[in-house]
Amino acid sequence: MLTKKRAHIFLSCVASLFVFSLLFALPTTGYTAGVGKDGTIAAQKGKATTLDELIAMYDSSSCYDCHGDKHEEWSQSVHARSVYGTGRTAATFRTAFLNGFMDWAYSGVESPEDVEVEHLMGCAKCHLPQLADATDDVAKELVATVFDWMDAYMEDDMETFEKHQETLLQLNINCLVCHNRMAITHKWTDGYPQDGVVYGFNEGFHPDDHFTEMKPSPILDESIFCGQCHGLGPNLELDNPTQCATAYGSHLWSYVANGGDKSCQQCHIHESGLGHNMQSYRSQVMADKAVDWKVKVRPMVWRDARSVHPKVMIDVALTNNAGHGIPDG
Amino acid sequence: MPVPEKFGRDDIMGRGPYEKSGMVADTALHPLKTAKEHFEITLDAAEDGDERTLDLKVQLWYLPYGTMDSDPFLWKEYTETVTIKL
Ligand code: HEC
Ligand code: HEC
Ligand code: HEC
Ligand code: HEC
Ligand code: HEC
Repeated sequence: MLTKKRAHIFLSCVASLFVFSLLFALPTTGYTAGVGKDGTIAAQKGKATTLDELIAMYDSSSCYDCHGDKHEEWSQSVHARSVYGTGRTAATFRTAFLNGFMDWAYSGVESPEDVEVEHLMGCAKCHLPQLADATDDVAKELVATVFDWMDAYMEDDMETFEKHQETLLQLNINCLVCHNRMAITHKWTDGYPQDGVVYGFNEGFHPDDHFTEMKPSPILDESIFCGQCHGLGPNLELDNPTQCATAYGSHLWSYVANGGDKSCQQCHIHESGLGHNMQSYRSQVMADKAVDWKVKVRPMVWRDARSVHPKVMIDVALTNNAGHGIPDG
Repeated sequence: MPVPEKFGRDDIMGRGPYEKSGMVADTALHPLKTAKEHFEITLDAAEDGDERTLDLKVQLWYLPYGTMDSDPFLWKEYTETVTIKL
């Protein structure tokens, strides 16, 4: 009897040891959910610890030699300066820090040194999604760079201003952000985007030194690809939701709901003839396409008690031809 | 335009994307919909003559930042000389 009980206890000990070692074994890979997550660019290179490392992680300069036309088009789009914008975006980032999390009681941020990646994802989710692949030190460095850039401008220190401007301009949505990082939306269904692969429409060898394989992205020509950053409404997954672009929401619930069937790519890349220079009204082509308008003028003679007034009635009809509301905001 | 709500409550407009959540109203031009605007211009009472001529100009402006002082774009322009016989 006694020996049997002992054996039982011994066995259950072995069993629990076994469970323990399993629990310890899993976290050492660093990734608990998702097969192939360890093959992404971020996992292969390890988190960026400086802004320069983050820029290098998605460095797309090798692409420009062979895809010069795409580079030329892309560099005219705001995707090429998605943090700097026209200067207004970077300036609004600063306001977002000051009037946002630095001002809020429960954010945990009192000075720029307290900022973590999570605080910035409320904007970076769309303006610089690869920031998620960096450490909190990089978040602090980004905030410091935006502050120093604005301060240099106020103090008329053009050398420092241009140095920081240069850095901010390199933080963007480039070839690898779209053709690798964002090229797969449903990662458990289609797999995680892998380092060394460019995602387009075809499969096979790709002559880049590092990105030697070509694979199809299942959503590159679908609206949801752009929708990943063009907004549905409040970003409710955040601890403190932000809201900026809502064009994808309008596309779904207003354009498609009214019978629209074109994708973002059809209008912005193909019909516009602008290719990778995806544009808004700032491009004449897009402004011309945006609305149809009809003006009807009807003159008449209006009579008051004793006086006679010439009068004109004007009817204007505006039809929005875009795939979402105008303006977005 | 979409008028975002400040922190998703009350009827106060939010300005920065860090405080915008939800919408108070949305007066944008919606896709595949036709919006109609009607204007009436009544001129001063006619004193003499039996005809008045008016050079009419109708313009559609896109104001990215809400005012004519900051980066406005002219989208459409319509001109017509209108003659009103009295
Ligand atoms: C040495 C030249 C070269 C370099 C460097 C290069 N590419 Fe390519 N790329 C090509 C060629 C050639 C093709 C194949 C075109 C074809 O077969 O249609 C291609 C195909 C592609 C495709 C797939 C197109 C499709 O229809 O499926 C994408 C996306 C792409 N490249 C992106 C990139 C990116 C991103 C980089 C930088 C990391 C890059 N390329 C660097 C030459 C190059
Ligand atoms: C859901 C994605 C998303 C999030 C989150 C987001 N933005 Fe945006 N933002 C965009 C897109 C897309 C545009 C392009 C214009 C448009 O459609 O409104 C834009 C436009 C802007 C503009 C206007 C640029 C100009 O020159 O007119 C500013 C400024 C801006 N964002 C700042 C921010 C800040 C600051 C945050 C964080 C508090 C933020 N955004 C969060 C996607 C986003
Ligand atoms: C904002 C996202 C985005 C960025 C940034 C981007 N692309 Fe693309 N690219 C696309 C989309 C979407 C398509 C597919 C368009 C379609 O539906 O035909 C595409 C198609 C392509 C193709 C294949 C189709 C063709 O027209 O030959 C190549 C090659 C390509 N891109 C290269 C590049 C290179 C090189 C860069 C960097 C200079 C780049 N892309 C940056 C979104 C992007
Ligand atoms: C990785 C996120 C991301 C993806 C993917 C993306 N965009 Fe953008 N896009 C942005 C951001 C952020 C801005 C605004 C940058 C700024 O003004 O500071 C922007 C700006 C634009 C603009 C110019 C808006 C303006 O006010 O001038 C157009 C047009 C546009 N994107 C279309 C597209 C289309 C079409 C696709 C899909 C083929 C796409 N984008 C995919 C993030 C993205
Ligand atoms: C039926 C054609 C069409 C489709 C589909 C379409 N767009 Fe547009 N888009 C336009 C036109 C035309 C403009 C120019 C008007 C403007 O800038 O407001 C525009 C403007 C924009 C702007 C600038 C918005 C602003 O405030 O001025 C963004 C950003 C944009 N589109 C993104 C997208 C995204 C993302 C999709 C898909 C979810 C998409 N578009 C689908 C035609 C289209």
